[in-house]
Amino acid sequence: MTDLFTPAANWQRLPDRYVTVRRLGALAYNLVTTVVVALAVGFIVDWTWAGGVAVAGLAWTAWRVIRAGRWVRTFGYAEREEDLLITHGLWNKRLTAIPYGRMLSVNVESGPIDRAWGLARVELVTASVQSAGHIPGLQQSDAAVLRDRLIAAGEAQALPL
Amino acid sequence: MTADPGPVGFLPPEQSPVALPTDVVPRGPAESGAVQPGAVPPGAVPPVAKLTERPHPLTPFIRGWVVLLALVIGIGREFVPNGEGPRPLPPLEWILAAVGVLALGAVAAGYISWRFTRFVIDADELRVDTGAIFRRSIRVAFDKVQSIDVVQPFAARLFGLAELQIDVGSHERSKLRYLSLGRAYALRDYLLARARGYQAEAATSTRSVSVLTDLHETDEVLVQVSPQTLLLAAVTSHEFWGIVLSGLVFVGVGLAIGQWWVLLAAGIPTISGLFGFVSRRVTGQFNYTLSRRAHGLRIARGLTSLTSQSLPSRRIQAAQLSQSPVWRLLGLYRIDIEVIGWGAVTDNEDKSGVSTILLPAGSFAQVQVALAAIWPLADFTTVELSPAPVRARWIHPFSGPFLRWGHDQYLVVSRHGWLVRRWQLVPHARVQSVRVTQGPVSRRLGLADLEFHTAGMHIAAHASGVDAGVVLERQAELMALLHQHAPDVSDPRSSESPGRNGDQAGPDAFRADQAEATISSTE
Repeated sequence: MTDLFTPAANWQRLPDRYVTVRRLGALAYNLVTTVVVALAVGFIVDWTWAGGVAVAGLAWTAWRVIRAGRWVRTFGYAEREEDLLITHGLWNKRLTAIPYGRMLSVNVESGPIDRAWGLARVELVTASVQSAGHIPGLQQSDAAVLRDRLIAAGEAQALPL
Repeated sequence: MTADPGPVGFLPPEQSPVALPTDVVPRGPAESGAVQPGAVPPGAVPPVAKLTERPHPLTPFIRGWVVLLALVIGIGREFVPNGEGPRPLPPLEWILAAVGVLALGAVAAGYISWRFTRFVIDADELRVDTGAIFRRSIRVAFDKVQSIDVVQPFAARLFGLAELQIDVGSHERSKLRYLSLGRAYALRDYLLARARGYQAEAATSTRSVSVLTDLHETDEVLVQVSPQTLLLAAVTSHEFWGIVLSGLVFVGVGLAIGQWWVLLAAGIPTISGLFGFVSRRVTGQFNYTLSRRAHGLRIARGLTSLTSQSLPSRRIQAAQLSQSPVWRLLGLYRIDIEVIGWGAVTDNEDKSGVSTILLPAGSFAQVQVALAAIWPLADFTTVELSPAPVRARWIHPFSGPFLRWGHDQYLVVSRHGWLVRRWQLVPHARVQSVRVTQGPVSRRLGLADLEFHTAGMHIAAHASGVDAGVVLERQAELMALLHQHAPDVSDPRSSESPGRNGDQAGPDAFRADQAEATISSTE
């Protein structure tokens, strides 16, 4: 499968478990936001409006929960010889290429939900804030190995800033 | 101000590389900072005792002067009749006394801060100690110095003093204020030489410092912009017409509803806004000169407050050319650059201090010379630009016909804009990552956008409405260019490591010829 967003490379996909984590994350974040906004609207404006906000929020939550599976399946990353490719997005597709030589540091993070499922997120940091080299939902052991590989490649190919 | 006129340099002038004919170097307390007693006598080659310097002894008075000026203006306003009848004011003696006390307080505070400020700039270290209560000592590694700027605010300028700003690439600059102008320039030259790895000798005062410019006979003037050009450019810029238009809209609305006073209420702020805008543009960039000395590029500018900033070309991430509608007829361009750690682009022409304007207004030839100065290897005029396909107009109805993008070995160039035309130039060597994006509509039309991420935030280089097929075709090439180990675009002609880019002599030589031709035409 070679198209604009998946050039020929050894593409790695995320583990299926990450779908569950993403759904839970979306659920937690969206429900809390919906409740807060609905309460605020209810107290300030009117409770009928608050109901409307709650319905919209729930619909948005449901949409995100349903789409999570497809979103995770579109996410892919590929370690090539000299750069890291990351692709994701359903409607707004994007493909980012980050040369290892631009690496400043590699971060591994995992939040409480991630940890419960044994997952972690790896981020390749460059001097640009727009690079956004995040790879979420990796198995913790894979994340550590990936981090070490990225660091090694970055040091071997370091480019001047 | 009876400072000890002791030796300032660490070498007698005749040994110093910067010092010129020594017989004309006038030296006195006004030119040298106060020097600690026990200084090394001239002639002692390796200084054993640390020679610490203080800023110029007039410094506290200038700070007091600034406060006094602010007070006089603030209180003077109260005396101006404003149509509300006389206001009860305290007796004049009281006011004068209060002003005097405040000004004296400012002088005293300035004195204390001056008393506790010392700096060492010699062969071993660059150190600045400040603070009376909270002592603070900053030591900077010479090779981390990115740029040195000499800034003269108006008050300091009256006394021939200047402020030295040391940029090491962090968010904060160390400032030494105030030094005599000659000393500031000498230290700047020394630090820049050291920053580039030369074991230069600590310099003494440089001679031939003109009041209006920071030019030296050895300097190679690359671009000079006359005040007339600045005035013309300001009056024909789109910002100017924006102010005029907003004023006209107000007036039109006022006439439509038959309220004649709106004419006055809208007219006066518009006219004063226009005056302010034009005078800022002209005074801020007055006598703009881009020149090259042995240790790098430099921009000097300003009428009331003079700024001389050095330009660290390796830290320039991207450049943006822009052209207002009328400028297209006049053939004028402006260049803004993005330098790591320098902050926001544009709208800073009025401030004294560094600005990210590489060229306030200039002809195409001057644009070429200025860009060749920062990126000697690249030549954006030879980059082949391809237009966006006609179907891109569905997403970019106005700018669609003007969208272009292209790249060569060194640069990515993209063009945008309908009224104000903009060219974004990014060297591959500064691109941190590349992204291809495509939204649902673009996908239908077979288009894609490209983003080029640099370490800067303000010039977001991108190419919009590119044919997806072309992107697919050129993807591999673009990504390979990202990590080429070719010579850096900003390597000067006389690179310190010869042989690394010896094969690049061709385009360089060409650029040099062009630069020469343009210089002679601008003079």
